[in-house]
Amino acid sequence: METTSLKKNQTVVDRVVTRLLVDPTLGVLALLVLICLLAAFTLPVFLNGSNLYNLVNNSLVVMILAMGMTVVLVSGGIDLSIGTTMALCAGVSAAAMNFGLPLFAALLAALAMGALVGLGNGLLITRLGLPDFIATLAMLGFASGVLYIWTKGVPIIGYMVPEFYIIGGLTPLAGPLTLPMVIALLVALVLGGILGFTRMGTHFFAVGSSKTGAMQSGVRVDRVRMQAYIFSGLAAAVAGIIMAGRNTNVPADLGNGYEIQAIAAAVIGGAALSGGRGRILGAILGAITLAAAVNLINLVGVPSSYQKIVIGGILVAAVLANRISAIVSGKVRQRKAMVLEGIPA
Amino acid sequence: MTERPAPDADGFLLNVQGISKHYQGVTALDAVGLQVRPAEIHALLGGNGAGKSTLINILSGLTSPDSGTIMLSGNRLELRRPTDALGSGINTIHQELSLVPALTTLDNIFLGREVNARFLGLNVRLDRRHMEDRVRSLASEFGLTEEDLKLPVGEFGALKKRVVEIVKALAFDTRLLILDEPTSGLEEEERLNLFEHMRRLRGKGVSLIWVTHHLEELFGLADTATVFRDGRLVGTVEVPDTSVDDLLGMMFGIAAGEFGSTATAAVVTEAEESREEVLRLTDVNRSYILRDISLTVHKGEVLGIAGLAGAGRTELARAIMGIDKISSGTVHLKGKAVKFSDSSAAYQKGLAMLPEDRKQLGILPELSVSENISISSLDRVSWLGFVLKGRDEVSQAESYRQRLGIKTADVREKIRNLSGGNQQKAIVARCLNTNPDLLIFDEPTQGIDVSAKVEVHNLIREFVANGGAAIVIASEIGELVELSHRVIIMKKGRLVGSVDHVPHALVSGQFEAVKNRILAMSAGRTES
Repeated sequence: METTSLKKNQTVVDRVVTRLLVDPTLGVLALLVLICLLAAFTLPVFLNGSNLYNLVNNSLVVMILAMGMTVVLVSGGIDLSIGTTMALCAGVSAAAMNFGLPLFAALLAALAMGALVGLGNGLLITRLGLPDFIATLAMLGFASGVLYIWTKGVPIIGYMVPEFYIIGGLTPLAGPLTLPMVIALLVALVLGGILGFTRMGTHFFAVGSSKTGAMQSGVRVDRVRMQAYIFSGLAAAVAGIIMAGRNTNVPADLGNGYEIQAIAAAVIGGAALSGGRGRILGAILGAITLAAAVNLINLVGVPSSYQKIVIGGILVAAVLANRISAIVSGKVRQRKAMVLEGIPA
Repeated sequence: MTERPAPDADGFLLNVQGISKHYQGVTALDAVGLQVRPAEIHALLGGNGAGKSTLINILSGLTSPDSGTIMLSGNRLELRRPTDALGSGINTIHQELSLVPALTTLDNIFLGREVNARFLGLNVRLDRRHMEDRVRSLASEFGLTEEDLKLPVGEFGALKKRVVEIVKALAFDTRLLILDEPTSGLEEEERLNLFEHMRRLRGKGVSLIWVTHHLEELFGLADTATVFRDGRLVGTVEVPDTSVDDLLGMMFGIAAGEFGSTATAAVVTEAEESREEVLRLTDVNRSYILRDISLTVHKGEVLGIAGLAGAGRTELARAIMGIDKISSGTVHLKGKAVKFSDSSAAYQKGLAMLPEDRKQLGILPELSVSENISISSLDRVSWLGFVLKGRDEVSQAESYRQRLGIKTADVREKIRNLSGGNQQKAIVARCLNTNPDLLIFDEPTQGIDVSAKVEVHNLIREFVANGGAAIVIASEIGELVELSHRVIIMKKGRLVGSVDHVPHALVSGQFEAVKNRILAMSAGRTES
C-alpha cells in the first residue's frame, strides 16, 4: 500500500516537473513573465496599459506570419519567403484597389497571390526535389524581384480607402478592439483547429516527424508538404493585407526581415526546426515575447538599429532553450523508467 | 474481427507471378513468383541482396514492378502507392519502423485512415473518441493500455513499437501481413512473445509473410518457406520437411558445412592463463545507468556481455569509450589510469568501437568505402597529418577488401551501395585500421545474413588470436556463447554474474546449458 502511494506521489511530481520543463508553451510563458518582471522593476512605463496595448497590436503581423510558419515547421519544412510574400500580397491588394477593383476583389487577389506563392514553393520542393531552404530562398528572391520591377522602387500609394484604415487597425473597430486583433484570432482558431483536430493536421505532424513512416502509412507526403506551404502563403497574404492598411503605402522592401521574426517567434513558441513539433498558441506567445523584448529595448533608449541583433540573439537563445528542454525531458523520462522498474535513485 | 479471406481457384490467397524489377541496369528481381495460402505463416528467405526487400516494397506499394502480376484472392492488383496495398488488405511492418515518433499510439494506428466527424457542417474534425472505441479491445488484447494509446510512440521500446504496428495492421481489414525481420532489436523473451502474436494472427485467418535471417526461428512456427537468391526464385518448401542446413544450401548455393553452424562453431581456443591485462574497470558508476561495474579484459580474450535491453550494456561500452562521462570509479588501460574526455581520445589510446546502430552511428553513407575505412586514422594516409594521399588510402582499403572479403567492385564506391554485411565488414576494417589493443563490438551481426555473420565472427577471432582483446555485446545469447571466452551478465546497470571458461564448456558439449544459465541470470532468476 505504502509503496503504491509513494509511486503515485512520485509520478505526480514527475509529471509536474516534466510539464514545466518540457512543455514549450509553458516555457515561453515563463520567459514572457520574466521579461515583464524585469521591466516592471526597471521601467514602470513598460507595464503602462497603453504601452502593453501597443505592444500586442504591433506584434499581430509577426504573429500571423509565425502561425503560418509554425504549420510549415511542424510539417518539416521552413519558409524563408514568408516576408517577401507578405510584401508582394500587400502590393497586389494595393494595386488592385488602384486598378479600380472593389475591396473584396482586391483582398481575394492578395489571398490568391499568397496561395500561388505557397503552391510555387511546394512545387519547387516536391516536384523538383529542391531542399526547402533553397526553394524558399529562391522564392524570396523571385517575389522581392517582381515587386521591385513592378513598382520600379517607388512605393505604391493612393489606395487607402476608409475600410483599409480599419483593416490596418489604424481606425479601431469598437473601443480598443481593432480588426487585426480579430483577424489574428480567427487565423489562430483556424490553424490551431487544423493542427489539433483534423486529419490534415495529424498528417502535418506525421510528415514532419518521419517522412518514411508517414509514407509507409499511406500518407501522401508530397501533397501534405504542399498544403503546408499554401497555408503559410495564405498567412503571408493575410498579414500583407493588414500591412497594406497599417503602412498606408507599399514600398518594395516592406517584408524585409519579417521571415527572421516569424521563424524566431515560432521557435520561441516551441516549434522544432527538425519538424514534428510546434503549437499555434506557442507562436502567439512567441510573437508577443519578441515584441515585448523589442519594445523594452526601445524604451531603454537603445537605437532601433540594434533590434535585429536582439532578434538574432533571441533566436539563438530560443533554439538552445528548446534543446535543453529536450535533454531534460529525456532525463526525466529515463528516471521515470528507472523508478517504474524499481531501482532506487 | 475479419471474415476469412477467400482463396483463389488454386487455393492461394496471394499469387505473385513473374515479377521483375531493374534498378539502373541492375536486376533486383528476375521473374520471381510467390504463392501464399490462406492462414499460413510463409517465410521469405535469402541472403543480403537476394531481392526480398524489393518484393516487399512492391507488395506494399512503395515501388512498382517492371513486369509481372500480383493476384489476391483471384483478383489482379495494381499497387501504385501504399494506400493501394493497404486498401487491398496488405499491411507491411517494415524493418525500419513505419511509426511516426511524434504522434500518439492512437494517431499512429489511424494514420492515413483517420475517422472524421462533422464539425460546423464540414466532415473534417477527427473523431478520436470513435477511433479509440474501435481499437480499445484489440489494443488491450495485445497488452496496450488506454494510457498507452495517448502516449507518443517515441517513448516506447522496440517490442512495444512492434506491437503498436501489429495493432495498426489489424485495426483494419488485414488479409496479408508482411513482417520484415520483426525480431531485430528484440530480446529473447520479447521474440517468444512476438511469435505468440504471430500464431494468434494465423489462428484468426490472417496470412503472414515473414522475412528473417534467423533460420532456427522458423521451426515450429512457419508453415512454408520460399527462398530467393540473387533476385531469383530458388524454390518453396514445407518447413516441417526441411532443415536449417537444407535452407542454407538453397540460400547460398553451397554446402551448409562451410558456414560452421552452432554445433561446430566452438573453435575458439581457450586463451592461456597469466595473460597480460588490457583493460580494468574498478567500481565504475554513471548515475541511474551503471552501478559499481568492475571487470578486466586480457590480451587474446573475448569478453561477452549479456543482458536484456536497458540492462546498460551499450551504456557501459559508451562509458569505456569516453562518449558518456562516468561519475565515479577508475579505468586502467594496460596498467595506467586513464580518463577520456571523448571518443577520439579513446581511439588515440588504443580503443575502438563498432557501434550498435550501423546505419545511424557507423557508416558515413555518402563517402566511399576507402574513406570509411581510413576516417578514424587519417594520419596513416596523409602527409604531416594534413594533406591526404588518395592513392595510399585506396591501396590500404584494397588490402582490407581482400583480407576481410568485402564484396565491392571498387573501394571508391559509395558505401551505401554495399549490402549490410559488407558495410559491417568495412566498419570492422575501420576499427582494425586504428591498430587497437581493445575492440568493442556492439551487436556486430545485427541485420546481416548468415554467411556474413560467420565471416564477422571469424574476423573477431582472428583479431584476438593476433594479440588483441575484444568485448562483444550481443542480444543473441547463442552468438555470445560461441564467440566469448568469458561472459558477464548485466541487469539494471549492475553486473549480476559471470560464466568463465566458456570454450571448455562448449568442447564438453554444454552449449545449451551455458546458454540457459546466462539467460536465467539476465532475466533475473537467482543462480544456484
